[in-house]
Amino acid sequence: MGPHIVLNDAGISLGGRSILRGLNIEVAPGDVLGIAGPNGSGKTTLLRLLATLIAPDRGGGSVLGAKLGTPEVYAVRRLIGLISHTPAVIGELSIRENLEHAARLGGEDPVRVETALRVVGLTEAAPTRGEASSFGMLRRTEAARLLITRPRLLLLDEAFSGLDVDAQALIDALIARTTEHEGAVVMVSHDEAHLADRAGRVMTLSAGRLDTMA
Amino acid sequence: MNRIRILLATAAVAVVVGLWFAFTSPIDRLQGEFSRILNLHAPFMWVAFVAFAVTALASIMWLIRKTPRWDRLAEASVELGVVFTATGLFTGMVWGQAVWGRAWDWADPRMASTAVMFFVYIGYLALRRAVPDPEMKARRSALLGAIAVIQVPLVYFSVNLFRSLHQTQSIRPDGATMPREMLVALLVNFLAITYLYFALLLARLDLARIEETSAADSSLAGDAVKPPRLSEVNDV
Amino acid sequence: MSFWDQALEIARVDMRIERRLGDVSRIVLPFAVVALLVFPLALGVDLSAISLIGPAVFWAVGILFGMQVALRQAASDSPERRDLYSLLGVDPAARFVGRSLSGSVLMVGFLAVLLAAMIVLYSPRLPQGWPAPMILGSFLAAIGLTELGTLAGEVTAGLRNRTALASLIVVPLALPLVIGGSQTLESLARDTGILPWLLLLVATDLALAVAGVALARPLEEASR
Repeated sequence: MGPHIVLNDAGISLGGRSILRGLNIEVAPGDVLGIAGPNGSGKTTLLRLLATLIAPDRGGGSVLGAKLGTPEVYAVRRLIGLISHTPAVIGELSIRENLEHAARLGGEDPVRVETALRVVGLTEAAPTRGEASSFGMLRRTEAARLLITRPRLLLLDEAFSGLDVDAQALIDALIARTTEHEGAVVMVSHDEAHLADRAGRVMTLSAGRLDTMA
Repeated sequence: MNRIRILLATAAVAVVVGLWFAFTSPIDRLQGEFSRILNLHAPFMWVAFVAFAVTALASIMWLIRKTPRWDRLAEASVELGVVFTATGLFTGMVWGQAVWGRAWDWADPRMASTAVMFFVYIGYLALRRAVPDPEMKARRSALLGAIAVIQVPLVYFSVNLFRSLHQTQSIRPDGATMPREMLVALLVNFLAITYLYFALLLARLDLARIEETSAADSSLAGDAVKPPRLSEVNDV
Repeated sequence: MSFWDQALEIARVDMRIERRLGDVSRIVLPFAVVALLVFPLALGVDLSAISLIGPAVFWAVGILFGMQVALRQAASDSPERRDLYSLLGVDPAARFVGRSLSGSVLMVGFLAVLLAAMIVLYSPRLPQGWPAPMILGSFLAAIGLTELGTLAGEVTAGLRNRTALASLIVVPLALPLVIGGSQTLESLARDTGILPWLLLLVATDLALAVAGVALARPLEEASR
């Protein structure tokens, strides 16, 4: 199995401004890569690039074997799991309905939703609508979704921010499960110490460039 | 709850009695049997006006006191007012089609102004649904409820202000313009529909109170979140 | 999940959200009926003029307010939801078809109630045999309007003042639907063929469906 992520001198500009440049990364199966950087350094843009949601306009690369910026990425998106800043939960639906919707669209058996709810501790809270749920509950919902979809590449954008100890342990368990099954994890955070505890390798993002931490 | 059931049951009896009077009273020579509809149309519209006036008073009381029960009263009264206005409009259109040959007459300012009033209160209900925070919902609704009532006298007196096909008030300070038996039937229905309104209002308030109590009694959202079962992660 | 399964799942959830929000039934529809009230009040009490303009006002109000049905909140996706759908492997064309399906159901109901309200309020002089052509024309226009609105929603996704902007872009493009719908009735009154106008509606609906499916992915990628 080849590397899950390869970036060769990749760069991206948004709105006429260069956000990321000269990115060279290789992430192998089982790796946990941490990327640290201050607010506004381009961490979220980098994660969206790795999620194949945006394409590089300089250099190139591949994610899960699909060349970035080509239609090949459509076939691998289902193997990517992303936790963004803002939870991707439909407010008007309950937690359970959100998970069943995602399970059906992702081609997964909706029966697994109940097991996932039990594991993340949301069985009783499952009828609560997204708009009435706390941030911690929404993050657990996302964790449940990722347990169901079993991504091969897990991308976490400040996923631990604002979470209690239990919820943080859940994200850690997700990371462990992904790497145990030959998946890879890339997590971004402004908290270098937090990343150092969890990642096998930490890089820093500064002025749009990635450097290995000393 | 028993008290409410008794109220609703007696209100139903009152409505049936009113209908009996409506079907047994003399009919208007020109309008024929369709004149009986007026025994429902006029009381429904009258009670709608009362309902919106109650809303206005409750809204003003909420603005002064800020206690939830005034907001509950305002909302319950608007809901009923909208239903009674819709029924009044519908019975009026049926009567209009039968007697004037058209269900809707633009020459009648009362019809148009009633329809406008109806939609303003539909907007009131939509406004309430759009605001999740109870305090903000109550404040915005109270402001609208207090202002919107200005339409009620405009609708009521529109038949006096403008020449229209709608008849002017049949019951006036100087006496009534209809025969005694027809007046009795009309008054019985006024009383019955008004009693129905109050019974439904109290039932609706009771329901609102139960809903609020049950929401307050239910476990806090946080209690429903349990510790994760990390050892079962691979079972999903 | 197959393309059609995805489309039906999107449609099903859309309808569920709309049932909870009630934007169409509680806000757009009452507002549209109020618009029907405004025209005659502005025209003055000229009953024969009011009867004459009834069908035209129906189409005008139907198109303008129909855009709000197509652009309802239930059918708009936050950036996070769009990303989630992409990462779940949802085909953007299936999303377009699903949105159009749910929107068409709502639009048909909306135009049906509006048509009934127009008939009651305006007492229009309708030609003999008007129900079938009028209903068919409205049905076809509802589908086209929904497709147009769904496309416009994608073009303006995430933009400030999305609803007004989408309406501005799309209402002129809805003219074939207005013309096809209104001329169906006119042709019936003049006893000339209604088929060309119905075919115009069908052709417009098909063209919009093809455009929606073909442009779905480029529009999704462009919105990021």
